[in-house]
Amino acid sequence: MAGAALSVRNLTKVFAAGGAAVTAVADVSFDVTGGEFFTMLGPSGCGKTTTLRVIAGLEQATSGGILQDGRDFMATPPQRRNIGMVFQSYALFPHLTIFENVAYGLRLRGLDARAIERRVAAILGLLQLEPYAQRHPADMSGGQQQRVSIARALVYEPSMLLLDEPLANLDAKLRVLMREEIRALQRRLGITTLYVTHDQEEATAISDRLAVFDHGRLAQLGAPEEIYAQPQSLFVADFIGRANFLPARLTLPGAPDAGAIFAAGATVRPAHTVRLPANETARINAADGAIVMIRPEHLVLAAAAGDIACRVVRTQLLGGLLRYTVQSDVAPGPILVETTRPLPGIGEGATARLTIPPADAVLYHR
Amino acid sequence: MTATPPRLAPPLARDWAPLALGLIIAVVAVLFLLYPLGSAMLLAFVRSGDEPSLTGLTLANFARFFTAASYQRALWNSIYSGLAATLIATAIALPMAYAVARIAMPLRGLISAMTVVPLISPPFIGAYAWIILLGRNGSITQWVHQWTGWTLPTIYGPVGVILALALSYFPYVYLIVQGALAAADPHIEEAARMAGASRARIVRTITLPLVYPAVAASMLIVFIKAIGDFGVPSILGGEFQVLPTLIYYQIHGFFNLNAAAAIAAVNVLLTVLALEWLNRTRSFVTVGGTARAAARFTNARARAFGNVYCWLVIVIAILPQLVIALASFADRWPGTMLPESYTLDHYRRVWSQLTSPIANSLILAGAATAICVVFGTVTAYASARGRLRARWALDVMIMLPFVLPGLVVGVAYLTAFNSGWLVLTGTGIILVLAYFTRRVAFIFRSVATTITQIDPRLEDASTICGAGWSATMRRVMVPLAAPAILAGAILVFSTLIGEISATVLLYSARWKTISIAIYELVLGDLLAEASAIGTITTIMTLLLVMAASRLAGRNMADLFR
Repeated sequence: MAGAALSVRNLTKVFAAGGAAVTAVADVSFDVTGGEFFTMLGPSGCGKTTTLRVIAGLEQATSGGILQDGRDFMATPPQRRNIGMVFQSYALFPHLTIFENVAYGLRLRGLDARAIERRVAAILGLLQLEPYAQRHPADMSGGQQQRVSIARALVYEPSMLLLDEPLANLDAKLRVLMREEIRALQRRLGITTLYVTHDQEEATAISDRLAVFDHGRLAQLGAPEEIYAQPQSLFVADFIGRANFLPARLTLPGAPDAGAIFAAGATVRPAHTVRLPANETARINAADGAIVMIRPEHLVLAAAAGDIACRVVRTQLLGGLLRYTVQSDVAPGPILVETTRPLPGIGEGATARLTIPPADAVLYHR
Repeated sequence: MTATPPRLAPPLARDWAPLALGLIIAVVAVLFLLYPLGSAMLLAFVRSGDEPSLTGLTLANFARFFTAASYQRALWNSIYSGLAATLIATAIALPMAYAVARIAMPLRGLISAMTVVPLISPPFIGAYAWIILLGRNGSITQWVHQWTGWTLPTIYGPVGVILALALSYFPYVYLIVQGALAAADPHIEEAARMAGASRARIVRTITLPLVYPAVAASMLIVFIKAIGDFGVPSILGGEFQVLPTLIYYQIHGFFNLNAAAAIAAVNVLLTVLALEWLNRTRSFVTVGGTARAAARFTNARARAFGNVYCWLVIVIAILPQLVIALASFADRWPGTMLPESYTLDHYRRVWSQLTSPIANSLILAGAATAICVVFGTVTAYASARGRLRARWALDVMIMLPFVLPGLVVGVAYLTAFNSGWLVLTGTGIILVLAYFTRRVAFIFRSVATTITQIDPRLEDASTICGAGWSATMRRVMVPLAAPAILAGAILVFSTLIGEISATVLLYSARWKTISIAIYELVLGDLLAEASAIGTITTIMTLLLVMAASRLAGRNMADLFR
């Protein structure tokens, strides 16, 4: 893509692990536009951090290329790439004060003392760290250390900001607070940002676009809403949010658009149909088999009206949500239904009926 | 944040520093670690007087182990005195380690710190203290004779050697086993107790098997140290020859390098066999770390036993140092319990006569320490962080001279640098290099441990901020490793002041050291002067080691574990 701030082209990284070769990243390509907040998301060991470290130059790619503003980046050593990076462990220099930690990159760039003083003060002010300038990292809380490491990464005005699981070591409440702060700061500075996390809620909450990784491959790329509504694989559907997978059979073999019929008899004609990627076709046994995916909050549960008969086995209050676990002939396992209000007359043990709204369902076929 | 981004310095073609350092390391390692050992091993298979060549290899030098009674005796003496010293040291140390780790008694830290004293004062200083006490005119010998009419058996010979070695080296067993006991997961012992085991049964079936690897490893250290010790058998041995003293007489008596090299090879073989034994017996039991300490016995009997036993051992173990200190002030000490009068004359004489050996020792130890610091730090970094294929080779190369007897290192340096393209014998340089070879492992281990504890992301963060390899080392890694480097350096320096077993083969008239001066005084029966300089050495070393433990932020005992 022309005009992309960063282009990753067919990136492959193979590690030698005691004689065996482990492919950490397999043929990954994507573009990041200037000023974009781009997140690489996936379970641990999926290759997202390795990709980030190759972009930073801390790992050498086995093959493939990385272009920054259209120029090849691979031959540039990491210390000359002018990138800012925030690490999961913060990696603050324990022997230096907060001021010196932040000034580190400026000293290496040979700025004079007054300019360093001015710029460090500015960034410390931006991150509300001024009172701590003379402290050492060991005397700071986790959240404060996190802010220092962001200040250190931003102070020399890098062309890109890379964040590797920056919130993983914080407690749940602080994590939400800090992610909003990072997003606000990123918008204010307009800096191109690559973010790595395994937390799908965090990723969808702050990113412009997401890249979902699965076993070293790029499973899906797109805006959070798009990925949530139309996951292109069972893995993505399962990894992002919650999903019910209902086995079915195509009503017309070879024509998924015509919809699917459940073993129990009910039919559904989902608005979206997706051919499963090669590594997942084995999940459907028969050639005319199908899987219907529907999110718990999209399912409609009612006492009498609906297509599918079911029985409520459990109700749970989860903060602001009510979750009904129901058993039905259409699926071997339990089906989850989520609502914001209690449904009158539907308690544990009650029989009820389910409706699958076609607009929200996705049909996967071979 | 609207200013233009600051420019980075113009890019270098490549960061040459790591390559250059790697090259220097390789050259130094080959020249001063591999080459001397290799040439000594080669010389062992060459007939005395012949030019070394691969075609003229012979086993003649080893034949004497089958023909000469003196060789057979020395080999047998080395083995049995080493084993006996190891067993006695272990027998002394194990109850003490268990008591400090499992009995609630006061001053446990002090007990551990006191056990370091025998380790830092050279064993031969302890040896002549036993002469003062138990020699023919020793105060205890005389005292016993006066009151009972009995004549104690002579201290010269195997009894004295084994006793002095055991008391010098038992702290290794104590420190290592006590550390392992303290680190052992207390839940395991508690589980055994819940299952209904008695305390004696727990010790026998749980605790001992759990620390068995530590016991075996520490016994190995004592054995290797004991069979490599030259000072103790040469002072207390009398007619009792061991391999190191045999090497010494081959060189000082006949300058027969080939014979010495062959004896050294046998000495190395014993060391390797001992290492092999450790490899075979190492158990798979791992000692897990947990925040909680094991429960301690609090009953009065256990505490009484613990206190009496530990302090008795410590008094006996540091008795030599106390006796030496006393002897250094004694004007007349004619076999009485205490000296009859005191004087500072010995110190005055030492000061006027021994300024040159003191200066020599400081210069040689200082230079060797400096080389150890540079080489040890860089190799520790390479071993801990580098993507070296040959990491194990590096580790072996550095640790091997550390376990080899000093006399063997001495023989290796003599054979390698006595003739040929690089002649160093008689210079101070050969001592510096031999010291470096023997002690670099101290810094290597200390720094490697510290580096593995430093988050590798710190280096990544520094790189990303714009620092090259050299800048990252200078600004981040060296400051962070500084305490470990300094602590290691002090340990190297202080233990080199009393180094004798390599020195005794390599020193020259120009480069006589403190340890050699003491040795000569002892041989000349000038025990008072020897005591004065010995006391100075021990106190200086003790102060340095205390400084090192402060710097490293670890207690003194930890430095030797």
